[in-house]
Amino acid sequence: MALLSIGTYLPPWGTDAARVNGRDEDAVTMAVEAGRAALQDGVDVDSVVLVTRDLPLLDGGNGAALVAGLGLPPATQVVEQIGGAPSVLDALVSVADSTLVIGADIGPTSGAAAAVVGSEGGVALVPRARVQRSLPTIARGGDGVVHDYADPRLTRERGMRTALDEAGIAEKAVAVVGLAPKDASALCEGGAPRVPTVGASAPLFALAALAESRANGLVLAFEQANMTAVDVTTGVDVSVTRVQRSPQPPPKQALTPGPEIKLSLPAYERAFDAKVRLEAGCCPHCGTLALPPRHRCLGCGAEGDSALVALPRDAVVYTTTTIHTPVPGLATPYTIVIVELGDTGVRLLAQVTGAPPGNIGIGDPGTMVLRRVAERSGVPDYGYSFLPAAAPAAAAQAVAS
Amino acid sequence: MIRRVAAVGAGMTQFGEHFGLGIKDLVPMAVTEAVDSVDKGFDRADIDAAWFGELTTTDGFPSGILVDSCGLLDIPVTRVENACATGNDAIRNAVYGVASGLLDVVLVVGADKVRESSARGTFWEWMGLTRDLAWDYPIGVVAPANFALHVNRYLHESPATREHMAMVAVKNHHHGVTNPKAQMRFEITIDDVLNAPTVVEPFGLYDCTPQSDGAAALLLVGEEVVDRYTDQPVWVRGVGLGLDRVMHQHKADMTTFPPTVKAAKQAYAMAGVGPDDIDVAEVHDCFTGVELIDYEDLGFCERFGAAALIESGDTAVGGRLPVNPSGGLKAKGHPPGATGIAQCVELFEQLRGESTNQVDGARVALAHNIGGPTAVSAVTILGIEKG
Repeated sequence: MALLSIGTYLPPWGTDAARVNGRDEDAVTMAVEAGRAALQDGVDVDSVVLVTRDLPLLDGGNGAALVAGLGLPPATQVVEQIGGAPSVLDALVSVADSTLVIGADIGPTSGAAAAVVGSEGGVALVPRARVQRSLPTIARGGDGVVHDYADPRLTRERGMRTALDEAGIAEKAVAVVGLAPKDASALCEGGAPRVPTVGASAPLFALAALAESRANGLVLAFEQANMTAVDVTTGVDVSVTRVQRSPQPPPKQALTPGPEIKLSLPAYERAFDAKVRLEAGCCPHCGTLALPPRHRCLGCGAEGDSALVALPRDAVVYTTTTIHTPVPGLATPYTIVIVELGDTGVRLLAQVTGAPPGNIGIGDPGTMVLRRVAERSGVPDYGYSFLPAAAPAAAAQAVAS
Repeated sequence: MIRRVAAVGAGMTQFGEHFGLGIKDLVPMAVTEAVDSVDKGFDRADIDAAWFGELTTTDGFPSGILVDSCGLLDIPVTRVENACATGNDAIRNAVYGVASGLLDVVLVVGADKVRESSARGTFWEWMGLTRDLAWDYPIGVVAPANFALHVNRYLHESPATREHMAMVAVKNHHHGVTNPKAQMRFEITIDDVLNAPTVVEPFGLYDCTPQSDGAAALLLVGEEVVDRYTDQPVWVRGVGLGLDRVMHQHKADMTTFPPTVKAAKQAYAMAGVGPDDIDVAEVHDCFTGVELIDYEDLGFCERFGAAALIESGDTAVGGRLPVNPSGGLKAKGHPPGATGIAQCVELFEQLRGESTNQVDGARVALAHNIGGPTAVSAVTILGIEKG
């Protein structure tokens, strides 16, 4: 198997050592960010595998949001997999060609990364070993309560070392993920590449670094007492697209307790495609765009079905305000905007993401990105938020070939 | 108009946080004050029908609460709900009833019990009344933000500044001091306004109307029966109601409220007067910057001329065109269903020379509301001439 392109995403909050997801980010929105970065070159994919330990909905609903956010056809197969770093390496060496594999991590070290898998070219992967043992030092069941056994030496001795012994691996690796930085470095020739996460996205971050540095060798992914080992050869050019900004401290916001934000599922379902794909209704008679799509055309008054068309994602602020007064159920202060999308004349009311509240001005440029706009009666409500263009120093979008 | 309509009685409760009074107390209090204000006496058995403006329902079925709490069990009542334009729209509908010739004497009541909910609880209640449930409701456009999106754009395009907004607050607080029905009867300074905690940018605490409970009532009669009740009627000269696209995304120019322009155009045409003929006005100043935009939409000044108009002092009592002599929503208070009717209670007194903050020689007066997702406005024009 081989990787044809890689995309990574880091939320803008936290520190260089530990990024944290924003209040409006979850595994699906971060997977969409990384997946879109991997798909940038217009590579076609037939299926998507999302590996995470934090699926937002355990009873269904993530897959449709994921493919809509990625801009893939609704029929695209989605595998939602609970798993960590070894699971992603397993997936990369076992999925069918033209699969987008995404790992997403939520928590104290958040991030997501994705790769398009094909049969040849790019970064070649050959499976070496897999060890599956039980040492649940972190235990989380259906109730969501985390039990932490908190014994790093036990993890090192009966997790890492036992797994390596069982696999018969004695040589140094080029990248090791899923361990504390010190343990990872000890297993690497000349120190492990720095990887910002420890979960499902970690091996993909490591492979992105190897693709950029053209390093070859053994890659190890650990989680508790599980380990997967893969031999990596970086041959042909592979595009690595990193979506990230310089980290900043999470904004100081206060969450005011309040009632659940009410939800009408019929209204949610009707709006879903246009809202999660960022598509407008286009009048078949006069071409006028409408967001949200509507029965009666804003331009010519024609009534009936309109086709959905993709909207541009570059946006300019028409007006804005920042809400300081406490609003039950929301974190304040927060900033909202009305933006104009590209040169379409279409406007959208949206929250601001990725920037501290306030300091948004009329005329500011930015991009629309998929976020969890609200959680409504337990349902993640996905839509588009305005990400202000970064100051040049804060922007760090690297493309390595 | 087919048949002229006059107000012969007007009354209202004090506006404020009436924690001790329910809607069933406030409504009969306002109606009794209106009945008692009729110069030659009034028998409530004369009432043929009533219109009741209430934005949010408290204690249940509004029309029933009106007849039940006021002892009017034998008349038909229509409940009107048109966002913050509810009050003046209830008047418009009642005027149509009398002007049609089918009714001689009608009662118009407006009331709301905003403080029946927790101070913060009203945010989601009102967003539920005004926002698209899938697209806009979760974004968190609380009521002040609804207007702030307009006012920030207005400040961006016009010469007006936060100081001009503060001048509106200072003026309306000053006006409210003499009004015994006002919720906030104290003077403030420009610095008080500018230094107050921010609620929703660009609105500080003193840029915002308080949350209020209250009720107001008017008695309207046909021209043939006016003399039975008073020798000093106040004639309803014109009414208008304007609407606009509901979602902010679809409002092309957010520096103006097209509903106001449309409602005013209808009311001026019906009354046969123009903005220059208005001697006193009560306009919707739920947030200070909104009063500035109202000046322009109602034709009191040219586009983007509001900053100069408030600076000139012309809209204070003693000036050329006093606006909100009652204190406005800003100082008098804003129980939405009652607000438009209470504006006309003030103007009824102004036109009869009875106001506690009297505008000398007032002959033609205008009341105005703008509300909901800034998509509805109602305007009423009153005068001492029959027209």
